[in-house]
Amino acid sequence: MIGLKLVGISLIISGFGGWGLAGARRMDRRVGELRDLRIALGFLEKEITTMYTPLSLALQRTQEFSDLPVAHLFRDSASALEMKQGATIREAWRQGIASMLSHSALLPGDIKVLENAAGQLGMSNASEQSKMFALIQEELKLQEEKARDQVKSSRQLWSYGGFIMGAVVVILLL
Amino acid sequence: MTSDHKTVPKEILLYLSPRLREIIEIQSEAFFCKLEEIRVRYGQPLLIRCGDEDWTVKPSGQATRDIHLGYRVNEEDIYRTIASISDNSLYAFEEDIRRGFITIPGGHRVGLAGSVIAEGDEVKNMKYFSGICFRVARQIPGAASGIFKEMCDAGNGDLVNTLIISPPRCGKTTILRDLALQISSGKGRAPENVVLVDERSELAGCFRGVPQLNVGPQTDVLDACPKAVGMMMAIRSLSPRVIICDEIGRQEDYIAVQECINAGVKVICSVHAGSDDELRRRPFIKDLLGGGAFKLGIVLSRSRGPGSIREIIRWEEHDRA
Repeated sequence: MIGLKLVGISLIISGFGGWGLAGARRMDRRVGELRDLRIALGFLEKEITTMYTPLSLALQRTQEFSDLPVAHLFRDSASALEMKQGATIREAWRQGIASMLSHSALLPGDIKVLENAAGQLGMSNASEQSKMFALIQEELKLQEEKARDQVKSSRQLWSYGGFIMGAVVVILLL
Repeated sequence: MTSDHKTVPKEILLYLSPRLREIIEIQSEAFFCKLEEIRVRYGQPLLIRCGDEDWTVKPSGQATRDIHLGYRVNEEDIYRTIASISDNSLYAFEEDIRRGFITIPGGHRVGLAGSVIAEGDEVKNMKYFSGICFRVARQIPGAASGIFKEMCDAGNGDLVNTLIISPPRCGKTTILRDLALQISSGKGRAPENVVLVDERSELAGCFRGVPQLNVGPQTDVLDACPKAVGMMMAIRSLSPRVIICDEIGRQEDYIAVQECINAGVKVICSVHAGSDDELRRRPFIKDLLGGGAFKLGIVLSRSRGPGSIREIIRWEEHDRA
């Protein structure tokens, strides 16, 4: 009976602890993803404003250049455009965002910045595109700074908090 | 290029908005064979030109000549069509948009209408697109065969400097393209180096610099290059025997033509006019003809379809008479 109780206690504590650690890891991942996103968008900007590469090809090249899960955004946007089924970049970009979201730690605020780009991406001349990318980079940088601050302030809370919460639950149950 | 009845469905319709594509793609093969232009104007009925007839398509997909019954184009159609033509990359077509058209694979030209942003006399950009005109580029092998025979000197068989005189839509571009093919591939004579100075990307229908239409194995294309500049570039660097260009009209074009002829290069070009009299009323051309630059003028019409020869003028004999 005691053995069973010990197993239960360890399962509860490790479960809550794991949840806390996953939360802390998600925060780290968010920072990394925002950084990857900024680098990838910088690459895409160069393809557009310097190389004048057509958008579907530019997105495809950016996908090859970027890491997962950010690469999902560019891969799915590019393939939606390449199908030539009359999809606009707005639709293709949203499809890409949806695909990336299922693997990502980004928050709704970060996604909002990306969604704002959907209506403007590709559909103006190079100098207008350059301005749009500068704005997105600025906004993503702010999000990244916020995410870093959050990591500093809450990472330890999440890391230990899960185990502590698990312990509290065990005490309450006992 | 694909065969004629497949050209429009395979090379053009995929660029239209899904709604427009849906109602046009159900038309007959005969309809597609005759189709020359598709005009998409915001708030106006869809217009399709087949030969000399204007057609439209009802929202149900039925083709009719009563234009007012046609499907009314909306903003969504224009936006989606523009997005599709430009691959959602208007920035990649800045130069083309400044010139007022985009060439799509297959060499078909898409004319654009909208709000023009200009600085002085120069067009900087275009936005708020309101009209799109698809012109189907068709290669008609042998279109120039009748003319080609006339262009060879009766004595030594050499080509003579020739002016194709034609009002719009009489097939001059198709004929120039076929002449490039015939001269360059050596049909009935030794093949010769040809340079096509294709300022409006119509002759060779270049897409990203590569000719989409067959202009022959010994033809170099200077795509989107101003005619006068292109002719001089060709002489300097491409050693052509023959230079072909479309629609000369500016003073610098005539000067460049004269330079080419003086350099021993044969020149074949087209000019907008309906007859010899109309031609001679155009500024600068009178001097060029007076100087004996061109020996042969071929006036085209649509009397028996595009490319019909209305008159052949041999200027030396004509002037003597």
